[in-house]
Amino acid sequence: MAKKYAMIHDNNLCIGCQACSIACRAENKIPNEVYRIQVWIQGPNQHADGSLNYDFHRQSCVHCENPPCVKVCPTKASYINQDGIVLIDKKKCVGCLYCVEACPYKARYVDPVTQAPDKCTFCYESRLSRGEQPACVTVCPTDALIFGDLNNPSDKISQVISRKITYQQKEHLGTRPKMFIVPNTQGGKIR
Amino acid sequence: MNQLWGSMDQYHQIAWHWEIAVYLFLAGLSAGAAISAVVVKKISHHSESNGLVKAGAVIAPIAIAAGLLLLIFDLTRPLNFWRLLVHYNFTSVMSVGVLALFIYFPLTLLLFAATFHEKFSSGMFACFKPIAGLAKSLGKVIDALVLLFGVIIGAYTGFLLSAMNSHSLLNTPVLPILFLASGLSSGICANIIVGMVWFHQDLNINEVASLDHTDKIIIYIELLLLFALFVGMFYQGQEAAATAAQALTHSAWAGVFWIGAVGVGLLLPLVLNFAFSSSFKSSPSKFIMFNATLVILGVLSLRFYILYAGQMFS
Ligand code: SF4
Ligand code: SF4
Repeated sequence: MAKKYAMIHDNNLCIGCQACSIACRAENKIPNEVYRIQVWIQGPNQHADGSLNYDFHRQSCVHCENPPCVKVCPTKASYINQDGIVLIDKKKCVGCLYCVEACPYKARYVDPVTQAPDKCTFCYESRLSRGEQPACVTVCPTDALIFGDLNNPSDKISQVISRKITYQQKEHLGTRPKMFIVPNTQGGKIR
Repeated sequence: MNQLWGSMDQYHQIAWHWEIAVYLFLAGLSAGAAISAVVVKKISHHSESNGLVKAGAVIAPIAIAAGLLLLIFDLTRPLNFWRLLVHYNFTSVMSVGVLALFIYFPLTLLLFAATFHEKFSSGMFACFKPIAGLAKSLGKVIDALVLLFGVIIGAYTGFLLSAMNSHSLLNTPVLPILFLASGLSSGICANIIVGMVWFHQDLNINEVASLDHTDKIIIYIELLLLFALFVGMFYQGQEAAATAAQALTHSAWAGVFWIGAVGVGLLLPLVLNFAFSSSFKSSPSKFIMFNATLVILGVLSLRFYILYAGQMFS
């Protein structure tokens, strides 16, 4: 059965340390000036009771189930595979950058080496094919990232998603991201 | 600024630059020139020996060819460009546009061949004589197809941008109609200018004046469409309203919009027409040509503004 790979980013556990970003760069040999992921630290926000906290925004491809980048690509170089991961077939890419502009999440950059767009692939070609978890997930010191197959009810991600309240970014656009965010109540504090 | 998480340059870059703005302009102008040439041919007495028709038949293929070259060279992987012709994706406006251009470009060449068929009867280009003869005999069919595909090309340049829901200035149903209208306007003006410069002996000044008058009506429609675009955004919720406010007031692009697209391109031609309509009779051709130049500059500014401001402000 086809998989439905997804990820959870738990804002209560994230501390904005960028370990995920560094691991991604090392694993996927990302050129210096571009990023597949960053974690943006926003705030501090003040609560009604006067206490402060930070928000952590994972800036990366959210692997839309209904991806605008795939819809607009004229050559089908951008595609969604049987496991729900959005990938780029560089051989077919003409570099029109329609996908870069059409992505509402600003997830794509132009690779300075290949001149084709690139982005997070959930480490599909590398670690996933070897049966390993994506690099960012393995290195996260607080286990704020959970990765797995939503079609498998016994997978950890299915269980956490059933239990915790999550949201997806820009849901109103109908892109149906497979990146689920646990909203922040106390982000940055270790409890 | 140097954040803990690294450089944010890639999030502020825009993907489509001046080449695309000029392409959008040229494609609209080509379609507008072709459409207005065919319409003039239908309603005027001298049909294809008419200078305005000849102007349109020259402009349409040249403008679209120049635009397509720009488009190809703006690809980051231009050597792969042929793949656009082999792989198709029918949910992609770009891909559908490639198909439409595949039909439109040869059609403009046929329009040219039919209009200038006498030129092919002898000399250097005599080898094209059979094609020109065929184009001439199929004139009516070609005209109808040019009209249809002219509208498709003119509108597609708008759909290309409006298909992206990542940018609220672009993601509006007004855009294709605005682009079609302004493309038509620029095409009419290009026909007037080229007609007056190159084909003045085949021109009927009354026809030029009535085409110029049609253009003024289109300008009023464009003003209404721009008004509808921004008022529409204002009521589309906070995000779109904020984008509209930014796009109308921030950065140099707001200046390009107000001064270039609206001031020079739409209001000035209307005001000049109104103010000088009495002295207009003394040297009508210079006056109309000056006005036409203003309109074309305005349409070019509008393409630049929509493309850049559209990408900058999400
Ligand atoms: S986040 Fe952007 S790049 Fe990723 S699937 Fe969605 S539209 Fe495509
Ligand atoms: S840049 Fe490449 S992957 Fe992106 S839309 Fe164009 S052809 Fe497709």
